[in-house]
Amino acid sequence: MASRGGGRGRGRGQLTFSMEAVGIGKGDALPPPTLQPSPLFPPLEFHPVPLPSGEEGEYVLALKQELRGAMRQLPYFIRPAVPKRDVERYSDKYQMSGPIDNAIDWNPDWRRLPRELKIRVRKLQKERTTILLPKRPPKTTEDKDETIQKLETLEKKEEEVTSEEDEEKEEEEEKEEEEEEEYDEEEHEEVKGTSFHSQAPFLPRISSGDLNFRRLEGQRR
Amino acid sequence: MTQAEIKLCSLLLQEHFGEIVEKIGVHLIRTGSQPLRVIAHDTGTSLDQVKKALCVLIQHNLVIYQVHKRGVVEYEAQCSRVLRMLRYPRYIYTAKTLYSDTGELIVEELLLNGKMAMSAVVKKVADRLTETMEDGKTMDYAEVSNTFVRLADTHFVQRCPLVPATENSDPGPPPPAPTLVISEKDMYLVPKLSLIGKGKRRRSSDEDATGEPKAKRPKHTTDNKEPIPDDGIYWQANLDRFHQHFRDQGIVSAVANRMDQFTFQTQTSSEIVRTMLRMSEITTSSSAPFTQPLSSNEIFRSLPVGYNISKQVLDQYLTLLADDPLEFVGKSGDSGGGMYVINLHKALGSLATATLESVIQERFGSRCARIFRLVLQKKHLEQKQVEDFAMIPAKEAKDMLYKMLSENFISLQEIPKTPDHAPSRTFYLYTVNILSAARMLLHRCYKSVANLIERRQFETKENKRLLEKSQRVEAIIASMQATGAEEAQLQEIEEMITAPERQQLETLKRNVNKLDACEIQVVETIFLLESYIESTVKRQ
Repeated sequence: MASRGGGRGRGRGQLTFSMEAVGIGKGDALPPPTLQPSPLFPPLEFHPVPLPSGEEGEYVLALKQELRGAMRQLPYFIRPAVPKRDVERYSDKYQMSGPIDNAIDWNPDWRRLPRELKIRVRKLQKERTTILLPKRPPKTTEDKDETIQKLETLEKKEEEVTSEEDEEKEEEEEKEEEEEEEYDEEEHEEVKGTSFHSQAPFLPRISSGDLNFRRLEGQRR
Repeated sequence: MTQAEIKLCSLLLQEHFGEIVEKIGVHLIRTGSQPLRVIAHDTGTSLDQVKKALCVLIQHNLVIYQVHKRGVVEYEAQCSRVLRMLRYPRYIYTAKTLYSDTGELIVEELLLNGKMAMSAVVKKVADRLTETMEDGKTMDYAEVSNTFVRLADTHFVQRCPLVPATENSDPGPPPPAPTLVISEKDMYLVPKLSLIGKGKRRRSSDEDATGEPKAKRPKHTTDNKEPIPDDGIYWQANLDRFHQHFRDQGIVSAVANRMDQFTFQTQTSSEIVRTMLRMSEITTSSSAPFTQPLSSNEIFRSLPVGYNISKQVLDQYLTLLADDPLEFVGKSGDSGGGMYVINLHKALGSLATATLESVIQERFGSRCARIFRLVLQKKHLEQKQVEDFAMIPAKEAKDMLYKMLSENFISLQEIPKTPDHAPSRTFYLYTVNILSAARMLLHRCYKSVANLIERRQFETKENKRLLEKSQRVEAIIASMQATGAEEAQLQEIEEMITAPERQQLETLKRNVNKLDACEIQVVETIFLLESYIESTVKRQ
């Protein structure tokens, strides 16, 4: 099969080097040809050295597992939003399934981050005030002017208030329990029924982000 | 970034921060620096999610941002920093050995939160320590502050770059992103805070007893918000300093293994080397090839108290260390009783070589290891020479050489005799290139860690149902014990988990522990190899 040196491409089975140089002499038994890919877990000739045991090893091991668990509980662990179910259910209103409208659970120092990264929850409130105004025309003109003025002054006041308290409110809310939210909701629902009662049908039933606005409303009064 | 590294980063991010952060992080690692909208478009996630993920990543120093022209902010991920997350347990354990539980908790809080203000850290750590103490005792803030100051003095924690203070006369709109700066001398400066207080124990009975109506609580918390005295000054763990410490530990244990086996004295040579390293901690930068020269007199004065060896004995030890073929310690002069340096670069090289040898020995056997050491020592050897020097029969020697060659531990160097490189007229010499072998081994280590993590996740997922059941049962038992249930009832609840299920849980626990321990081992090897490669690359 192997010719000595010479034959470049002449004849089949002729190699460009001598087999003896590589070390396979004539008549030596070559290993059998491999007809399949190597096994996934080949048998080990030499067993691995045992892992270090002892106080230090066990402590570090326990620490590692504890860290893993702890990091899952921190607010930095972002869970993907629960997919919306087919039909809106009553319990959705009372079960906080995630942070309010993509707000962050923790408070980064916004001065250190690029401005574009700041997510504002105030979007909701702005949307609400724009929905309100078009509905004003059905009322009498006097009422309309009065209420528009009232709205504007209150909006201004609210902006001052919310820019400071916005994040604090978010923070507090996350810490409260469900029961408390339910309680507040009910309380405010009863207290409502003043000039803003026509808002009730327009309240977007998104999530407990509404509570933010409602509590502020309560304070306004 | 190699595929193995990217895979490992992806697993780490997913385990610690969830899938959304993982998707964004891996995309940034793969594609380099990108602005916000492009990230959102390419990964197909909503803008809000991307913003959240970026906030988390920036908080943990895994992503940095830069303002380019026209106000575009680009974000870049740091793959090597993500891989450091593997070593968090080791950092925390080191802090524990050096500064006890307080130090351990400080470093843990800083690592888990990325960056924090000093007052926040002190408060949290004091609370956590108070939880573990006996009833009635609380942890004082002053003690925690002291430990924090000590950590800062030894450079284990450092300040994060600060937002530059803008003067009011700054014209124009504020920039889209702040450029953070920090000067060398400010990095370890602890602000003068007077933190007075004690840790609070989180007792649920206390809160019920106050009897405040729940609706009033929001107002109560807002009243407590005083301006933090060190607002804007954030601290982070200084990973380089920890790496320096690990490297020193590695060198000291290497010297101990080599020199102190046969002496009757308790590890004198390693103590000497440790003293020398300690003296050079602050004076030598971490990437220097060798430490500043230290005179024998200085070393004698700095030996730990209670180590009474005479000056002559110290000199003898130093000479012995300097003459050792491993060349950890070198003599650089004769003034002051002899000036000695520690060759950091050579030490790292020896450690990396020892790792390679050990890997070959455990994978292929001790005869292979002998051949490897031989080729390492003689630099270039022909096949015939290998057989002769190693005193191993030709066939086996060939077999071993080819096995190592196929795994890329050994490489071939061709030396042609004729210009046409005819194979029959070329010398083929075997040689070992430590740098490339180390890189290859490092790559394999990354792959193994990724495999270990995946297998652990697989095992946990397989038995998820069982794990949840056992957790529920434990919760039930705990609550029943709190309300004082009888032994018989507890017994009944415990029997909800059948014996074969218990067996399965035991096996699962054992497997997960084993996989975790393996991971820790491989991570140590990764550290050695990475340090060596970094040190070599810097020298070139």
